[in-house]
Amino acid sequence: MAKIIVACGSGVATSQTVASKINKLLSEKKIKSTVEAVDIKSLDKFIKGADVYVSIVRTNKSFQIPVINGIAFLTGMGQDKEFEKLVNAIKEADAHKAG
Amino acid sequence: MQILREIVNYVLNLGAPVFVPLIMLVVGLIARMKFKDAFSAALTLGIAFTGMTLVINFMTGAISPAAQALSQRTGITLTAVDGGWPGMAAISWAWPYAFLLFPLQIAINIVMLIFNWTKTLNVDMWNVWSKIFTAVMVAYISNNLILGFVAAAIQIVLELKAGDIWGPRVEKLTGIPGVTVPHHITLLANILHPFEIIMNKTPFLSKKIDSDYLKDKIGIFGENEVMGAIIGLLLGFAAGYSITNSLTLAVKAAAALVLFPMISKLFSQALSPISEGVSEFMRNKFKDKEVYIGLDWPILAGRSELWVAVIITIPVLLIFSIILPGNAVLPFAGIINLSFVVAALLLTNANIIHMIIMGLITSPLFLYAATYFAPYITRLGRSVGTVSIPHGMMLSWSTFESPDMRFLMAQSANLNIWAILGLLGWFAMFYWLYKDIDRQNKEEAASELEPAEESDAS
Repeated sequence: MAKIIVACGSGVATSQTVASKINKLLSEKKIKSTVEAVDIKSLDKFIKGADVYVSIVRTNKSFQIPVINGIAFLTGMGQDKEFEKLVNAIKEADAHKAG
Repeated sequence: MQILREIVNYVLNLGAPVFVPLIMLVVGLIARMKFKDAFSAALTLGIAFTGMTLVINFMTGAISPAAQALSQRTGITLTAVDGGWPGMAAISWAWPYAFLLFPLQIAINIVMLIFNWTKTLNVDMWNVWSKIFTAVMVAYISNNLILGFVAAAIQIVLELKAGDIWGPRVEKLTGIPGVTVPHHITLLANILHPFEIIMNKTPFLSKKIDSDYLKDKIGIFGENEVMGAIIGLLLGFAAGYSITNSLTLAVKAAAALVLFPMISKLFSQALSPISEGVSEFMRNKFKDKEVYIGLDWPILAGRSELWVAVIITIPVLLIFSIILPGNAVLPFAGIINLSFVVAALLLTNANIIHMIIMGLITSPLFLYAATYFAPYITRLGRSVGTVSIPHGMMLSWSTFESPDMRFLMAQSANLNIWAILGLLGWFAMFYWLYKDIDRQNKEEAASELEPAEESDAS
């Protein structure tokens, strides 16, 4: 099962709002995964155990795992496209784990 | 009428962990959520209250004896324990009138958009709590419920106007177009603005510093467990505890700071179906209009300047809490000072030295506001029903957001003539800030159209 993390300033409000929304969309599609809201101050620690990172900020850092634009889930603009990217990333992570 | 009053009293006496979920269930069903989902969200809210009560009691239980020992040993009396914003948000949701602030914010926003008085569509429903908090504080201090709502309404209008001027800044700082931060936390820019003008005329203050590098080096001190452990250990030593007891306090303090956001998350989890529904409704209503979508401040959290400035101001706040005469607050759960830094980031265009100076000069303001509001926060905390604050101790919030605006509003509601004049002056300063940032935005937009101009690629 893929693990998705969403980070915001304290891992409480914005990240949890996005995480809840993603959770709802994924369960509608019957895709199993865990979505967790985390504190961006401790991102380096959390990213180690994650398969996909949903970001609500723009950074110039590069990550080992796929990064999805979380702002789309807050504004609704481009949400379908980002969600499709997310679903693909989850499928890839699951396939990788199974294989 | 008598029966109705008795029913209302009965429900309120059930305590916040029961009656707020009941309200939530009713609101959810009115919003046509499925019963299963509405019930689950309501129950999660009750769990959040219960969990937050546990954590606040755990924190006060660990910190109060140390604060009292400190006072006996040194004469430094810090009787107010700092619950931070997660603690304040929790007790705010427990106010019996809390949910009325949702329709108030939505209605004001819709009216202002229809009449083109704002370009900001605020879909951030989480921060409705900050309007609840303002309403409670003003209502408690003035003994007038209506004035509490008036203050909250003024805050909503100011937030939307602030959203209008920050939109272009947010895009410049984050690269995300079409969004803004209509958060009252940014209104501190009002009193920082004159300082920024002076600092802009002081050349050596605009030196470029590699904040990414700095954040990599000192970022660990901003992590909850590390910060909690350090504060707990220092407090233990200052209180004259043995090494063993100091180390125990360090671990307890770290536990409290790690648990706070974990519990707080449950509130946003419970509220997310409602906030999602409202947000979708608002966006659909204005989908043909060009607006800035208003989001919570963490869209700016990718800027390393913000974290560097916050971490540097942690020891400053601790030192001020000891040396400031009359301060009663021991900084703890609220020590990550977001209350100045978001405004400072936007106002200075991420000039790190300016931001740090702003953190230094505003620290006393937050601590004094925290001291002033502590009795009212304690009253709200106790009225929630289950938060036990030891006798002689208080609950507060060391980095009390919008200290200037909330103090002036509360005192004005009390018909204090100086406060009313002060509030009018504060509005005049906001007008000045609005015009100035608007002019800067227009100049920047114009210079971007001229390709020969040098551009700041930060």
